[in-house]
Amino acid sequence: MKKLLSSLAAVVLIFGVFAPVAFADNHSGGDMAMVRVLHASPDAPAVDVYVDGNAVVEGAEFKAATDYMELPAGEHTIEVYAAGTMGEQDPVLSADATVEAGMAYTAAAIGNLDSIELKITQDETEASEGMAKVRVGHFIPGAPAVDVGPIGGDALFSGAEFPMVTDYSELEAGTYDLEVRTTDGTQLIDLSGTTIESGKVYSAFAVGTADSPDVLLLEDSSAMPSSMPETGFGGASQNSNTMAYAAILGVLAMGAGLVLFRKRSEA
Amino acid sequence: MKQILYSITLGLLVFIISYYWLDEPVKEARVLSSSDAAELRVEQTQTRGAPPPERDLLETEPINKDYEPAVVVEPDDQPGIIPERIEIPAIGVDAPVGKEGYTEEGGMAVPDSVTKVGWFEPGTKPGRKGNSVIAGHVDGRNGPAVFFDLKDLNAGDEIFVYGENGSKLTYTVQKVAAYPVSDAPLREIFGPTDQRALNLITCTGPYDREASGYTERLTVFTTLKDSRYAPS
Repeated sequence: MKKLLSSLAAVVLIFGVFAPVAFADNHSGGDMAMVRVLHASPDAPAVDVYVDGNAVVEGAEFKAATDYMELPAGEHTIEVYAAGTMGEQDPVLSADATVEAGMAYTAAAIGNLDSIELKITQDETEASEGMAKVRVGHFIPGAPAVDVGPIGGDALFSGAEFPMVTDYSELEAGTYDLEVRTTDGTQLIDLSGTTIESGKVYSAFAVGTADSPDVLLLEDSSAMPSSMPETGFGGASQNSNTMAYAAILGVLAMGAGLVLFRKRSEA
Repeated sequence: MKQILYSITLGLLVFIISYYWLDEPVKEARVLSSSDAAELRVEQTQTRGAPPPERDLLETEPINKDYEPAVVVEPDDQPGIIPERIEIPAIGVDAPVGKEGYTEEGGMAVPDSVTKVGWFEPGTKPGRKGNSVIAGHVDGRNGPAVFFDLKDLNAGDEIFVYGENGSKLTYTVQKVAAYPVSDAPLREIFGPTDQRALNLITCTGPYDREASGYTERLTVFTTLKDSRYAPS
């Protein structure tokens, strides 16, 4: 009787170990946010970026932009150090930020070093079908308000001031001869031959100084389905084999058990 | 009597455990084949961060550079093609390519046919910078379909995509990986990239009869090696 109880206990134990694995939910990345980092402070050194004390970006120089990184939804502490100085110097920048699941963000270090700040914007990840989405960010400290539009034509984005990021605008796909100009029409940056494609999302960040302005055109997103395609009907699937293999193993174990237990009771 | 009971219990237990163990769909990506391209890329980013030789090493310590850069838009002089036919000699595939868009739920649509494959038309044209995607069935209701042998591809295998008037693009397989269907890296497969990439998708893993669908997706990542455009 004792034996029976102990083997029952073993059954419960083994089930306890295997059941959670067998029945665990499929965990997907559903509770993650996406964050990318942009170094837009013209006189700041190369930096390391730490999130909650962990290095996520190392050695990003001025004008560097990272790809999106996954971050759990919730509040995080973002610290920016001059490259290699974590533990030796104070961060040049420290900020708390709350990110939501399924959202994308750009965290930009902007302004001159003496007044550096972290600007966090929420990014679009879905373009409209057949159209492109574009927005403009003015990250040039000391530069006047700007318009962005075709050279000599009507502005597509007007009156953007430091450190503003416009909303996304839908534009027809195509090649544009664009310029960044002051609101009174003086050209600051020539962007001739800028091609934008349908289904894509772009951010044009103006960075640098008033004397040497530049534009960083990033592709935030492209046409993406919400799920993978359904590419099979199961006509050649080998799923039925699982049952057969398991049954064979089960029968083998049963036989082994029978021999083993009989031997023991004979002894 | 007791022995028999023990044996039956043991047998049953082994059956249940092995059934779940064998049937367990992967929760993480399985890389089936890979070239060293990915590793090389990381090294390159790091070496790029080393100080230029003209700088005094005593004055400035080398900056350790470690991050994936964003996709910066640069002029792309390649027009790309509308794919009409795909040929994969390594697994004997030669199939027509159709255009596919979104399903009603926003997923990627696929051809009704088991002999034809579908190019995700809202995405990137093959040949241009970005991720182009072509999907095909692994099987039909009664047997194998066009992409049944896709899992047998290895890094280095070549794929040819033909456009109108004999344009021909040659891609090389970089990586073959399987992902749980609800946890596939959609952005890596469809999203922005600096590469001229073509990714092939089909189904794999155990078939879930209740959900009438496969539980995993196979993705073959390839990059452009050579392009020959028809004179326009």
